[in-house]
This record gives sequence, C-alpha cells and structure tokens, in this order.
Amino acid sequence: MFDIKRLTEKQVILLDGAMGTELFRAGLPPGHCPESWNEERPEEVAGIHRSYYEAGSLAVLTNSFGGNALKLAGYGLESRTFELNFKAAQLARSVCPEGRYVGGSIGPTGKFLKPVGDLTEDQLLEAFRPQVEGLAAGGVDFLLIETQYDLKEALLALRAAREACSLPVLVTMTFNLTRRGYYTIMGVSPETFIRTMEENTVEAFGANCTLSPADMIGLIIIMRSLSDGPLIAQANAGQPRVGPDGSTLYELGPDEYAGFIPELIEAGARVIGGCCGTSPEHIKKIAEKISAFFDKIN
Amino acid sequence: MKPEPNNHLQALSQAIVQGLVDEAGPLAEKAVAAGMKPLQVIEQACVPAIEEVGRLWEAGDYFLPELIAGAEAMKAAMTVLQEALKSSGQSLKSAGRVVIGTVEGDIHDIGKNLVASMLRASGFEVIDLGADVKVERFVETAEREKADIIALSALLTTTMLNQKRVVELLVSRGLKDKFKVMVGGAPVTEKFAREIGADGYGESAVQAVSVARSLLAGRGGNHD
Repeated sequence: MFDIKRLTEKQVILLDGAMGTELFRAGLPPGHCPESWNEERPEEVAGIHRSYYEAGSLAVLTNSFGGNALKLAGYGLESRTFELNFKAAQLARSVCPEGRYVGGSIGPTGKFLKPVGDLTEDQLLEAFRPQVEGLAAGGVDFLLIETQYDLKEALLALRAAREACSLPVLVTMTFNLTRRGYYTIMGVSPETFIRTMEENTVEAFGANCTLSPADMIGLIIIMRSLSDGPLIAQANAGQPRVGPDGSTLYELGPDEYAGFIPELIEAGARVIGGCCGTSPEHIKKIAEKISAFFDKIN
Repeated sequence: MKPEPNNHLQALSQAIVQGLVDEAGPLAEKAVAAGMKPLQVIEQACVPAIEEVGRLWEAGDYFLPELIAGAEAMKAAMTVLQEALKSSGQSLKSAGRVVIGTVEGDIHDIGKNLVASMLRASGFEVIDLGADVKVERFVETAEREKADIIALSALLTTTMLNQKRVVELLVSRGLKDKFKVMVGGAPVTEKFAREIGADGYGESAVQAVSVARSLLAGRGGNHD
C-alpha cells in the first residue's frame, strides 16, 4: 500500500524523470501516439521504467500522460482508452521491484471548458473515466493527476478517480512565475490551489513542469507556508536549447539539477521527481543528494 | 445614456476590455447608428481596448479566460464594423496575412489558437492550418495565399526543431526573403529563434501581435 504519510515522515519520495524524451530517444516517431507504444513496443516502455527504478526512483509514473479519451481522439484511439491505460499500468507493474511503487499518470486533456473552450463538465469527466478505470485495473498503487492548469479540470479528473477506485490521488498543477507571482495560465494561485486540495482531502499536491529548480524552490516555500501536507515538486531541467549537433537539450545537466535538491527539501518538498529534460541520470544524482541530505540530519 | 459619440466609444471599449462578448457587437452597432464612422470606432475604441487587454495580460492581471473573452468581444465588434464598412463601399485594409499552425509531430494547439485569435482581433487575416502540419504545407500555403508571415508553434522540445526545418525549406527554395517567419511555444526562446534563423519570436500571444506588426512595418499592406 502506498502510504504517503508514512513514506514522507522520515524521507522523501523520489519519483522518476521525463518519459516523453526517453520515448523519443528510444525511437518513437514524432507525431506518433506515445501511449500506443504500450501495445506496440512494450519492451521499450518497460525498459524506461526499469532504468528509472535502477536510478533510484521509489515510484515511476505510467506511460499514460496523454491517455485521456479526448487526447487519444487526436489519434483516433479514443475507443482504446481503457486498454492503453490498462497496458500502461501492467507494463510498469511488470518491472516494479519489491517495495517500490507504480503511479498512474493523468495529464490534462488540452481542451478547455466553456466559455474559454467548448467542452462541458460531463465531456471532461467521461474523458478521464476510462483512463482511471484502466490504470486502476492494471494495478497502479496511486494516481497522479499532473500538469494541470485549470482547477475545474483537475477536480473533474479527481472526481473520475474517486468514483472509480479508492487509490490515493496526488495532484500537481503547472505554475508560471509572472510579474505578480506564481499563477497557472488560467490564473490559479498557489493559495487557491492548496485550499482546494485540502478541502478535497487530496493525499499530496504540488507543482510540476515549466519552472526551473530555482523558481520551483520559491514556489515550494510559498506552498509550505500555506500547508503542512506532503508537497510535490517536479521541476524542468531549466530551459531547452539547441545543442551543437542540432538536437534540443536542456540547460541543466544531472549534477547541476541535483545541486538544487537539498534546498528543495529544506523548502518543504517531500515528493520529488523530474519533469521535461530530466533523465535516469538526473534521477540517479538526485537520489544521491537525497540520501546524503538525510544521512546528515539523522 | 446620452447619445454622444464618446459615450459609445467608451462603452464599447469597456465591453472589450471586460470581455463582454454579447455586448460588444450591439455596442458597435449603436456607435455606427449614432453616425460614427466605422473606421473611427475601430481606431478609437477597438484597437486601444485590445491593447489594454494585452497590457493587463502582460502585467499578470489578466489570465487566459480574460484574454480569450477580450479577443472574442473584439471579434464580435469587428464583425459588425466590417459589415458597416462594406455597406458604405469601403473595406478595412488587412494588417497582414498570416499562415499559422503547430509544426509536424505536435498536436498541441492551445497556444497557437490563442495567437491566431489575437492576430485576428488585431486586424490580421489568419489562415489556420491546425496542428501537426507538415513543413511543406506551411511553405506551399504561404505561397498560394500570398502570405506575409508564417507563424510556427511548437510545444515539445522534440518538435521545435521542425520550426527550423521550415526556415531551411524556405532558404532552399529561395523564398526566405518572401515571407517573415515567427516562432513561439513553451520551449521556444528568443535565442532559439535567432539560432534557427527565424525573423521574430513572441513570448506570449500578445507579444506575437506586436512582433507581427513590427515585422511588417515598412512593408506595403499595413494599415498603420
């Protein structure tokens, strides 16, 4: 059982790093549905999970970030939502070592509710429902509703999760650092986010993507001042740039990224992982920093 | 309300800034019915209003919902005013013609849609090719439609390189001087834009409008 309270009491939960870039590195063609590889190239997906476990991740996230029915519809795969998520969960489960965990990744639909977009709440709910059911049936230990920017959408995903299973649910939203502070593109503040998460008794919550580790530390300090709950922090490896060979790379390498980890823990983060631009190598370095941190204080 | 022209302009301007989509059209109609020239309404109410929306967004006071509502209200007013122009035998000169899309391999269209609606609200003609658009299709559409600008969106670090491929194709076909290329999207930076040889980069949908304007400044076809 994935008991967040117990797991974060004396240590930090280490999640994994990026999945998308690892899939592309493994040969996923641009424009191809990442979730379809759960069926077409299961050995590649399982291999990525394995490399994160070996790097020290206590939990990895399934290859199902875009696995809601609305996003899969972009590839004509909406009718396969349950199966692709079921397979995603099974794959991670199949390589999960004893005492480690599998989290079901649930990303945003990319569409907007009325009046910004043309979706109804029911349509959103129905997009998440088969995803949650597939992940739960496939054997995940918890769900991570991640990279959300609209609180309503996050809450609908949460509702789909709570109606389908009794797994612990974690939620992250993506904040930008604006001139007035940290906000999601829809204008959700850390205050509103934290209050809503606590009202809905979400097991753990926090932020991922977009922010560099330095800006993430600033956000976690604010969140810690608002809540005693287990805070999640998954920063990007800085900004992407074009490398000498013409490929894209992120500015923060494993050592540079891991250098921010002690400060991130001190700021209050209790569930830590990577986001865009992070690799198993980043996770390995982060794991070293985390154990050094706790060796020092214990 | 007194039927003074300034009241109409102010009310319309406020409706756009506040994103009152249902009120902007009727208010534009009222202004025209009161005898105001459509062009005057556009220049004195609509343009300053959408610029104010942009300013509020950049200041962090407005977010996506307010920005979209402002652009929609602007669109509603412009539809009325363009109709009024047409019936008086005039037409609004386009600010420029833009072919826009999310590059190949990338199905993300939130940012691209936002840029398209802000450009439209600001008087540009926009040809939206959607998402996952092949490199050749951008170039061929731009040629066929005699576009001024090709605007490329990418959300993924793996697909942002396709922005570079569009520039390369333009160069190889000797068309680089014919079109201005502007790029944007979450992972894209000013530096990246320079590195791949794009002409402009906008950090936000609001900036995209000013970038598009400045790229076409000094060229024919601009109504400023």
